Amino acid sequence: MTQQFVTKEWVKNLHKPGEKLITTHCCYCGMQCGMHLRVEEKTGKVVGVEPRYDWPVTNGKMCPKGVTAYQTVEHKERILRPLIKKNGKFVESSWEEALDLIAEKFQGLQQQYGKDAVSVFGGVSMTNEKCYLVGKYARAVLGTRFIDYNGRFCMSSAAGGFLKTLGTDRGSTLPWPELEHTDCFFIAGSNTAECHPTSIQWLWKAKDKGAKMIVADPRETPTARIADVHLDLKPGTDSALANGIMHILIKEGYVDEDYVANRCNNYEELKVAVEKFTPEYTAKITGIEVGKIIKAAHIYGRSPRSVMMFARGAEQQSKGVDNVSLYTSMALLRGQIGKFASGVATFTGQANGQGGREHGQKSDLLPGYRKITDPEAVKYISELWGMDPSDMPKPGVSAFELFDEIHAGNIRAMHVMCSNPAVSAPDTEYVWSAFRKLDFMVVSDFFLSETAEFADVILPAATWAEDDGTTTNLEGRVIRIRKVREPLGESLPDWGIMQAIAKRLGKGQFFPYQEAREIFEEFRVATKGGKADYYGITWERIDKEDGVFWPCPSEDHPGTPTMFKEKFGTPDGKANLAAVTWKEPGETPTKDYPHILTTGRVVFHYLSGSQTRRTEFLMEQCPLPYAEIHPELASQYNLRTGDQVKLTTPRSHMTLEVRLTKAIRNDTVFVPYHWGKELAVNQLTNPCLDPTSRMPEFKVCAVKIEKV
Amino acid sequence: MNKIMYLEFERCIGCRSCQAACRECGDHEYKERNYVEYVDFMESRQTYPMLCMQCKDPACARVCPANAIQITEEGVVLSAMEEKCIGCRNCTFGCPFGIPKFDFEANKMYKCDMCYDRTKHDIAPMCASVCPSEAIRFIDFEEMQALRRRRTQMNLVEGKKPKEGNKWDYVPEFFGVYSD
Repeated sequence: MTQQFVTKEWVKNLHKPGEKLITTHCCYCGMQCGMHLRVEEKTGKVVGVEPRYDWPVTNGKMCPKGVTAYQTVEHKERILRPLIKKNGKFVESSWEEALDLIAEKFQGLQQQYGKDAVSVFGGVSMTNEKCYLVGKYARAVLGTRFIDYNGRFCMSSAAGGFLKTLGTDRGSTLPWPELEHTDCFFIAGSNTAECHPTSIQWLWKAKDKGAKMIVADPRETPTARIADVHLDLKPGTDSALANGIMHILIKEGYVDEDYVANRCNNYEELKVAVEKFTPEYTAKITGIEVGKIIKAAHIYGRSPRSVMMFARGAEQQSKGVDNVSLYTSMALLRGQIGKFASGVATFTGQANGQGGREHGQKSDLLPGYRKITDPEAVKYISELWGMDPSDMPKPGVSAFELFDEIHAGNIRAMHVMCSNPAVSAPDTEYVWSAFRKLDFMVVSDFFLSETAEFADVILPAATWAEDDGTTTNLEGRVIRIRKVREPLGESLPDWGIMQAIAKRLGKGQFFPYQEAREIFEEFRVATKGGKADYYGITWERIDKEDGVFWPCPSEDHPGTPTMFKEKFGTPDGKANLAAVTWKEPGETPTKDYPHILTTGRVVFHYLSGSQTRRTEFLMEQCPLPYAEIHPELASQYNLRTGDQVKLTTPRSHMTLEVRLTKAIRNDTVFVPYHWGKELAVNQLTNPCLDPTSRMPEFKVCAVKIEKV
Repeated sequence: MNKIMYLEFERCIGCRSCQAACRECGDHEYKERNYVEYVDFMESRQTYPMLCMQCKDPACARVCPANAIQITEEGVVLSAMEEKCIGCRNCTFGCPFGIPKFDFEANKMYKCDMCYDRTKHDIAPMCASVCPSEAIRFIDFEEMQALRRRRTQMNLVEGKKPKEGNKWDYVPEFFGVYSD
């Protein structure tokens, strides 16, 4: 057998005869691991994967989802033709028939109830180009103010916290390869090892050099297991912990006084706010031993270079923005932002969680992080799109509130793109009844997701391997996704679907594109001058420079790997330290519901599981959700591993298998959330929203346990 | 082949990426040939990868009555040769690590062959390529020795040494497998 190799510098890849290797990135989480897809030259089929050793962020590492991601492309359950629901059953139709029906319904409902009767629900697993167009589609083509996206369930608290403290929302203030040189990681509410596994190599590289790790998590996750200090806090008490740590930092003189004086506001207020959070008081609220809190503060305070990292555990709470602001303030007190190998970072859950939230899918934002309430921004974008600024819709409502609007009768139709809120929204029964109430519902997807089952029309979307484009990974690095094969069947990329509907609605002039690259060129201009400025980024530069970090305002600008070196994104250039106290979560244990329920991921599944539950290997590893319970708690109910348990919250109940483990707090139950319908743990979760970010409280609710 | 497989159990995060990747290897017919186990799920999330040790004097080959298990000149112990394997399953009983498995449909044994099509060109096996935490590595012999020394030093610095009372909290932290 002859062997050929793809060689870049010292890197060799196995290259089989009759196959080509196409360089791209994984479709799942925000790590966006580099990979080559193996494509058969004769048939054009994707047949496998080959690690991409030369990608500087992941060095060829992949998690089991990444290794099997290619299997969704040729999957037998792909939707290949438009489907229309007739007499309760989906029937294949032509594009013509489907588009006619959509145009008729959308126009009819808008004439009867006004423009806002049609709403758009986007997603951030799409490329920047597509996310940008979702905003344009809603505002320029449909003219509705009701647009929002699934990032509200994922990233918006981080965004809110960063905007409040640092003035600019970029998920990470430093590039990932610098983590190797960090001395201390403070990881709060992130099970990095399972949710962003390819990050772990950087933590270990640093650990091998002597770095310390502090992990705050109610469970002893595979991440917490390797920590030097595991702060096993009670779910929903992150802000107390952050205040408690800051109390020690201030009391024991670990604050970088010069940095705080020159670059931060609000220090005096912060001092007052943390005054009462003595280690003992913090321990009382959080349930962590006093000694551990002090040890963690000492390690964090003494480290010359530290990174503060957090994820959904801290963010998916009704106080998520407070948590993020306080953790960020911790890093600011130590003067860690804007330096080499130190800073703050949030782990983006979805593929393009970063890029997707900057470009106009949020109800109040226009591309480039422009406010829709800012007349200048509206004027700039309207002119670019060729519409009258007075036609630009007003700000709408957040994702979960869209369902309130449906129940109130204000929204009559919805177009859901690249999202599965029937599983991922909290209090799912409320969401399901909203979907049933809609007059008309369109879903674009490539699998029949739980949400798609409610639809009147399903449009076949192309997968990530069937279109070109860019995404922004969790570092803020803009990277390239490549088209590996032509879309299967009659499926179209999401931008093609929006283009087809726009044309049918007589608004084709807004979507004059032949290929994804043209969208990117327009999108660059749209972001020019905004906070998230992509203007200087070109596809050629991305290829040549292994991705470009935004903001990058001009083509000769090197991009911004390290944020906030000189000043912050606030109007006065100074960071705002957060002086907020701890508040109870939306729901606390009561006599009827005496324990705490928290949710999270497992390494084998991604979000609502629509893709990973269709992947053989991943399903073999984790076919069903389960309830993780501490043996002490289980003994109260006489439960053993393998027993069935009924979990009840004020909203609903479900039955699950029990797994006993000492690696969880003895007052908390953990259930992974990747399954739909009667297996969806989000039936139980609390839709109590954060006042700023409108993020629901997925991570804490009160629960009752009964043996079945 | 100048490199060796190096396992560092403590790093394993139980993601089973190595197993998924093993299925992707050229002629593995979508069956994994390595395994990941929990030390004790009740106690901790500690898992460890279990690979073929590529023994110098492999028990599986010694007990094979048909001489179906070949060892390459680089020291890689291959799967049973299809034309020789008589399906007696001696190898599956003989291996102290439980590596060879029996394919009842094809009536032959299959086991890790260290991705021979890759490793003979010094390209890392699929499992070591993808392992996100570098619990499995494909590295030079010298690098392995340096890693072992450094890890021992770090453990001493941190005062990490299992005592009788907590010895079950610890699993072996490194394990080198090599062929020279």
